[in-house]
Amino acid sequence: MTPLTLLVRSLELMGVLRDNNLFGKGVNVMDEKVIFEKVKESVVEALGVDEEEVTANALLFDDLGAESLDLLDIVFRLEKEFGIKIPRGGIQADALSDEGENLKEEDLVVDGILTPLGIEKIKASMPEVDPARITEGFRADDIPTLFTVQTFVNISKNLLEEKEKTG
Amino acid sequence: MGIGIDITEVSRIKSLAEQHEQFLTRVYTEREITYCNRKKNKYQHFAARFAAKESVLKALGVGWAKEIKWTDIEVVNDPNGKPRINTYGAVKRLMDKKGVKEILISLSHISLYAIASAQLVKG
Repeated sequence: MTPLTLLVRSLELMGVLRDNNLFGKGVNVMDEKVIFEKVKESVVEALGVDEEEVTANALLFDDLGAESLDLLDIVFRLEKEFGIKIPRGGIQADALSDEGENLKEEDLVVDGILTPLGIEKIKASMPEVDPARITEGFRADDIPTLFTVQTFVNISKNLLEEKEKTG
Repeated sequence: MGIGIDITEVSRIKSLAEQHEQFLTRVYTEREITYCNRKKNKYQHFAARFAAKESVLKALGVGWAKEIKWTDIEVVNDPNGKPRINTYGAVKRLMDKKGVKEILISLSHISLYAIASAQLVKG
């Protein structure tokens, strides 16, 4: 735990952050800008690209030239950086999980192709992705081609929040 | 029916293994780690097994989706050295659902690259 996190956590415990709302809404221990900078650093190190290329909307495969092993490299760097665990499939698992809705896999993907409901779910769970990229007939296998730098910011942020909740 | 193929750069596997302590245990089973570590060019063997896992996932038609772990797919060698695929957990369930009885695998590796080809056999 860094001194900053410790400080933030102590303030939070004392109710200072909650009352003063220093970090915008809620009690975000790590603010999104900080997360973005760390994700950017990990992407630069893993892919050997220039910092300027790593914008929030840059696509990992098409814009930054990543290969599937590079995603793993980025994932491991983020795990180390944030003390989180990103499971394989964790990036899109939420979108295609049936949590509380009793959905079957066939409701979302048929023969490897996203159903209209599957498309809707992916769009909703990946708000950072340009919805125009997810068209009819989109293959579930091609979801990683939608990953942007912001996708990794979001997943890190979610996992950090989860970690905060569970302590 | 389904087939899948994957090519993996040996040096990438080596650097991932050297840089990230999670890499080997997240991707390979204990048996695979023991097997590869005994080999002279161990990273060629690790790379071939990574390619195998990816090719199996391609043959089954799953990319990064679902709660699938790399360790759900294991490459073991027959006494005569022929590789064979064992599956566990979510991958095993997916095979059962698709009526896949067996997955055939073929591996090849040189100093730079490892390649694998997988084929589903329906029961």
